[in-house]
Amino acid sequence: MERGSTSVGVLVIGAGAIADQHVAALSSDPRGRLAGFVDTSAARAGQAARAQGGVPWTTDLAEALAWPGVDACVLCTPNDTHDELAARVAAAGKHLLVEKPLATTVPAARKTVEAFAAAGRTLSVAHSHRFYDYARTVHGEIASGALGRPLLVRLALLGGWIWPDWRTWVIDRERSGGHALHNGVHLLDLVTWWIGDEPVSVYARGQRRTAAELDVHDHLEMVVTYAGGATAICEMSRAHRPASLSARDVVVQGTEGLLTMEWDGEGVLLADERGTHLAAEGPAAGFAAQMSAWLDTVTGTASTGVAGDEALLAVAMGVAAERSMELGRPVSLEEVR
Amino acid sequence: MRVLDVLLIGEYGLGHQNHQRDMYAPAFEAHPGFRVTGRAEADDPLDRPDADVVSVCVPYERRVEVVTRALRAGKHVLVDKPMALTAAECARIAEAAAGTGLVCLPAHHQRFQPAVRVAREAIAAGKVGLPWNVQADFLVAGGGAVWPLGELLNFAPYATDAIHAMTALPVTAVYATGGPRFQDGPSQNSSFQDGPEDLVTLCLTHERGMTSTVVAGRTPAMPGAGGLSLHRYRVAGSHGTLLADANRPAARVLTTTGTPRGTWAGPSTVDRMLTELHTAVVTGRPAELGPADAVAALRVVEAARRSLASGQVEEVLP
Repeated sequence: MERGSTSVGVLVIGAGAIADQHVAALSSDPRGRLAGFVDTSAARAGQAARAQGGVPWTTDLAEALAWPGVDACVLCTPNDTHDELAARVAAAGKHLLVEKPLATTVPAARKTVEAFAAAGRTLSVAHSHRFYDYARTVHGEIASGALGRPLLVRLALLGGWIWPDWRTWVIDRERSGGHALHNGVHLLDLVTWWIGDEPVSVYARGQRRTAAELDVHDHLEMVVTYAGGATAICEMSRAHRPASLSARDVVVQGTEGLLTMEWDGEGVLLADERGTHLAAEGPAAGFAAQMSAWLDTVTGTASTGVAGDEALLAVAMGVAAERSMELGRPVSLEEVR
Repeated sequence: MRVLDVLLIGEYGLGHQNHQRDMYAPAFEAHPGFRVTGRAEADDPLDRPDADVVSVCVPYERRVEVVTRALRAGKHVLVDKPMALTAAECARIAEAAAGTGLVCLPAHHQRFQPAVRVAREAIAAGKVGLPWNVQADFLVAGGGAVWPLGELLNFAPYATDAIHAMTALPVTAVYATGGPRFQDGPSQNSSFQDGPEDLVTLCLTHERGMTSTVVAGRTPAMPGAGGLSLHRYRVAGSHGTLLADANRPAARVLTTTGTPRGTWAGPSTVDRMLTELHTAVVTGRPAELGPADAVAALRVVEAARRSLASGQVEEVLP
């Protein structure tokens, strides 16, 4: 922390859409202070800085890391740049919250975890779904023992096409790592946290519904088996029609009980002239809880965020899913580690 | 309405099940289109003049023989599900039924759920465009395991048959997980690892690139669950999404005493199946399902069994 200051100075690296969510969360926690923006695009960095009342900005990461008052960074750049930029953050002795996935390959993810361990700084990964109320409710019910030992988990996050056009890096397989790494890790991490067991293998099937020319799969069915015999079905979609569809579905069958959160579980169905829609809260509350947990970790108050080793496991599962889709067979975690 | 005479043959099923006594006999007796005229065993003659339809629940080793004899005697047949324990036996029944003009109905009664039928009609009419994915859950709370054969054979075919009814896309490959998971063996000494599968997940690849994931199982009883604790289908198509909760239509009832429960609204699936049997017999039109559907269901079961053993994706054998 800055001398004489009790707040954590946070540098935001990459000033795209997701950075807005983190910055909004940061402004809601008195322990955090926005130290500035760095982005390869001067226009993007400058605009973000102006929108936040004229905080510092630059296009040079080395310069930003040397600013006084920078204690920690939030890394919101394309997935394939995470490991290299994280290494520079670790070398500069800053704490890091990196957007998911931690990296697009297992060796890169592992190297990042090791770099922060060696630097004595904390590494957290923005598996934001862990901080949403629904996810915490499910985790709480399982942890309370009410359901017994979980044997089957179904988690579906379904929507239509929300991405921009062919220019976006998120549908570039090289840059995003594929959909199993880009969004799939959210589900893979969440179900593993819920089940609390060691994943053994992943069988994944992917479809390209929006366009056959896509490099990534806009629909994923990933079936994970666990050491204790549980199965998790993770379904992630940007392929459903109508494109306005937004549905989440959770099932947990345990040895002693069944939990369901149905697709309309958020409770508000809006029927208007264009059809029936689900009206739900946005992700703001989840990002605020995630920011709070990260600041706990950075300040050493508690360790409730998603640590690097857990995110490394999620990367391994995502890589196994991508490989399973390539090979058309289940892929064990051992094969990708 | 023409009333059909029914002969009930045998009271055997999987494990402790007695569907003849518990399901078919009461449903035939209550249905205005049928009259139960007699009961028989596998060895009894079937060319009786007082039977238009026979309801077959004989032991599995007698299924092919008794159904074949019934068909040769000119009887329409309702066969308990599974129709036989192997796809090969089902295929022999299909052969015996082919060209007879008689109805030979495997009792896949869950496809007569109103939600499944409405879904099937909507999909067949193109309301979701071309279907490319189905998710299905078929979980039953309580009732006791069907030792020594498990829910892969007992329950999973209901769900795969419903998907087949809805999409008409045959399964080409299966990856399966699961096994014996709940400890409710027939004796206290039996370990759950020794028991039959009671919870399975089937990842199915269908013709035309459609995929589906099916959960089927029997869990311990849970107060208020009322049999099927979860029974639903979600169908994604090129132009829409369909969500069918097969536990509806139902009324939800909370009272000052007892647990919350759902009250089924309308005739049971067995009643609806018997109406299909009656209509097919009386009108002479083909029934909407036949032995070929039993063959398809059993081929999926057999591929799933191989997948559980190998841990790999297994082709459905033709």
